[in-house]
Amino acid sequence: MMLSRPIYLFSTVFVMGFCYIFFLTMMREGLPERLPVAIVDLDQSSISRRFFREIQATAMTEVTLRCTSFEEARDEMQKGNIHGIIVIPRDFYKDLLAYRRPEVSFYVNNAYLIGGTLSYKDFLTMSALGSGAVQREMLRAKGLTETAIMGRIQPIIIDSHMIGNPWANYGVYLINLLLPGVLQLMILLLTIYAIGIELKNKTSRDWLEAGEGSLVAALAGKLAPYTILFSILGLAGNILLYKYVQYPMHGSFAVFSLATILYVLAYQAIGIFMIGLFPVLRDGISFAALYGILAFTYAGFTFPIEAMPPVAQGASVLFPIRHYFKIYVSEALLGTSSVNIIIYFAALLAFLVLPFLVYRRLKNALINQNYPLK
Amino acid sequence: MKSKKSKNSFVGNALKDLFDVFRGEFVHVFKDSGVMIIFFFAGILYPLLYNGIYNNEYVYQIPIAVVDESSSAESREFVRKVNATREVEVAYKCINLEEAKELFNKRKVNGVIYIPRDYHVKLRNMEQATISIYNDMSSFLYYKGLMMAVNYTMLDESHKIQIERYNSAGVAGEQAEQIVKPIPYNDVVFYNPGNGFTSFLIPAILVLIIHQTLFFGIGMLAGTAREENRHHTLVPEHLRGNGIFRVIIGKALCYFVIYAAISAYVLGFVPKLFGLPHIGNIWTLFHLLVPFLFATIFFSMTISVFVKNRETGLITFLFFTLILLFLSGFSWPRSNMPVFWQYVSYLFPATHGIQGYIKINTMAAELRHVRFEYIGLWIQTGVYFILASGTLLLTLRKEKNRLETEQD
Repeated sequence: MMLSRPIYLFSTVFVMGFCYIFFLTMMREGLPERLPVAIVDLDQSSISRRFFREIQATAMTEVTLRCTSFEEARDEMQKGNIHGIIVIPRDFYKDLLAYRRPEVSFYVNNAYLIGGTLSYKDFLTMSALGSGAVQREMLRAKGLTETAIMGRIQPIIIDSHMIGNPWANYGVYLINLLLPGVLQLMILLLTIYAIGIELKNKTSRDWLEAGEGSLVAALAGKLAPYTILFSILGLAGNILLYKYVQYPMHGSFAVFSLATILYVLAYQAIGIFMIGLFPVLRDGISFAALYGILAFTYAGFTFPIEAMPPVAQGASVLFPIRHYFKIYVSEALLGTSSVNIIIYFAALLAFLVLPFLVYRRLKNALINQNYPLK
Repeated sequence: MKSKKSKNSFVGNALKDLFDVFRGEFVHVFKDSGVMIIFFFAGILYPLLYNGIYNNEYVYQIPIAVVDESSSAESREFVRKVNATREVEVAYKCINLEEAKELFNKRKVNGVIYIPRDYHVKLRNMEQATISIYNDMSSFLYYKGLMMAVNYTMLDESHKIQIERYNSAGVAGEQAEQIVKPIPYNDVVFYNPGNGFTSFLIPAILVLIIHQTLFFGIGMLAGTAREENRHHTLVPEHLRGNGIFRVIIGKALCYFVIYAAISAYVLGFVPKLFGLPHIGNIWTLFHLLVPFLFATIFFSMTISVFVKNRETGLITFLFFTLILLFLSGFSWPRSNMPVFWQYVSYLFPATHGIQGYIKINTMAAELRHVRFEYIGLWIQTGVYFILASGTLLLTLRKEKNRLETEQD
């Protein structure tokens, strides 16, 4: 049955395989490097050229364009070719020597938040280094040691620890949740399709009979292969991400994999619930599409739930991916496998009650076939 | 004379056929509740929903814990300044790092600042003092918030301490500034000055909503037609062959008219309604919209040949919504995308549509700035028009053959 139509194989193995390859190759750099920026050097002195070399040396940005005017650079920014612009004013060197504090300007394009933020960070570091370099020359001339100089140039330094993701790998932020996101989408759609198609083709009575009149047996028989297939796809993803690509997994891989299986079951239960609620294939699919797409928002891995309006926050508990995300943070990032996450496992289990709520309604629909077909 | 007359009647017939198809497709759209839901309900609801959820733009006042082992005037000043930033809020003051880590692991705080015992001693001895921070990496925005807050405070404090030192050494005023900061900087953030997440995300989402609702709606219409075997009756006998273009264009015009209205709402009105960036010129936007809609329509018609049933379009291609979003390069920068995926992205109208819209709407780009996208969309329009016509011809031929064999 499962292999009889291309849609089944396509929507499971192909879709998941494609997404794994797509996201891992797309973000293989981990953190965007050598973002293109422009420099407008109106001074053309030895010191302004040194500035240029300093930027080239930083990891995050790379000067791909040297413009003669700010207007030219801004044009390139509006075309989307560069993320930032540095302007070194005329007479920069002269003013620096005369202690007139010439000002370096930098402009970043934050319409693309990631590129903008990273370029900004690089520019900020660089301009601090620029001031520091001048000060250092001066203190050196006074005969201070390097340590003494550093204490004066930069009295406070920040030692930043990134818990669980020490390289600030962008893939770790996104891929770990995007892929389970795609998985839940496919689970929902296929669960509803597998049941709904029986209604649509008016074969639901035969199907029930195959389960000897028991809906539980019929459902189990139909959905168990999917449970196995989706669990394998989910676990294969875990192995790929945490073993092969070596994304951080500070806690127990086994506990997290258990969560993955529960996650598959929870979404299958929601699928049954939806087709039970709307026993029309078309309606079930539309509803699943709406709900499934919202999961990417309600996992809370891009924009934290706490920052949403209070009215919108509560809905997050209705999405298994939210609980899965919490387990992921505890297990993978923090490695604090403990009583803290039991509540999220319980939440995933709670979704398994849903099919029983629509048991009668679904069974009646299967027997009577009294809903519109299209 | 004669040839002119026949030419006139050719044009006349073509226009009449075109109008018939156009009107017929309108009826199909408005009679199909599934398509109506996708076109109108989703088109209107999704922008409101996403704006509602992402209404806040920023993550303000991220709760953090502070461990101040230095307990000095200097450390207290640092903590006070961090607390004053809009990004974070000191929710807990802990006596040791273990306590703070416990709060962190219990997810009560999304970051920890640790000021060691010797902080003030080092500062007084003019050595480098270190402050440690522990970032919550579960969301990029937590990390960014704490980093920004601490770095601004550090720069501010460093500057103040340096000035104080030079003052006590007898160097004052402008002269001290000259030494401490010989090269001041001036930073300007363009197009999204508040670093807003909403202003960054929603414009891309809006274009994607147009692209995807059109795609799934057209797919559903084609799937239904196929289930009911309607292609046969849908394309009148006299329009087989060259008349096929009239069918394609007639349908496309129908979708275009509907989506011109929906786009005006989604791309023109919604950003104004929710105070998102909208500094673009409306005529420039219109210029982009025309090829974007036609490219999307012909693209959808081409792919819809593979859609066998009403529902299969959504099932098989819904996941691609996410792929299209990332292919557009609004998040992971295009400059850092593998070349292969860059080329793949040019296959989809969504890529040029999202890029063009962000540039015009958010960055006030003129048509010459989005020339690449504009030309790209017209090329897609041409290519997909040809492909859509070709696939429809093939389908008709196949059906005709099938019917003939059935009759035999």
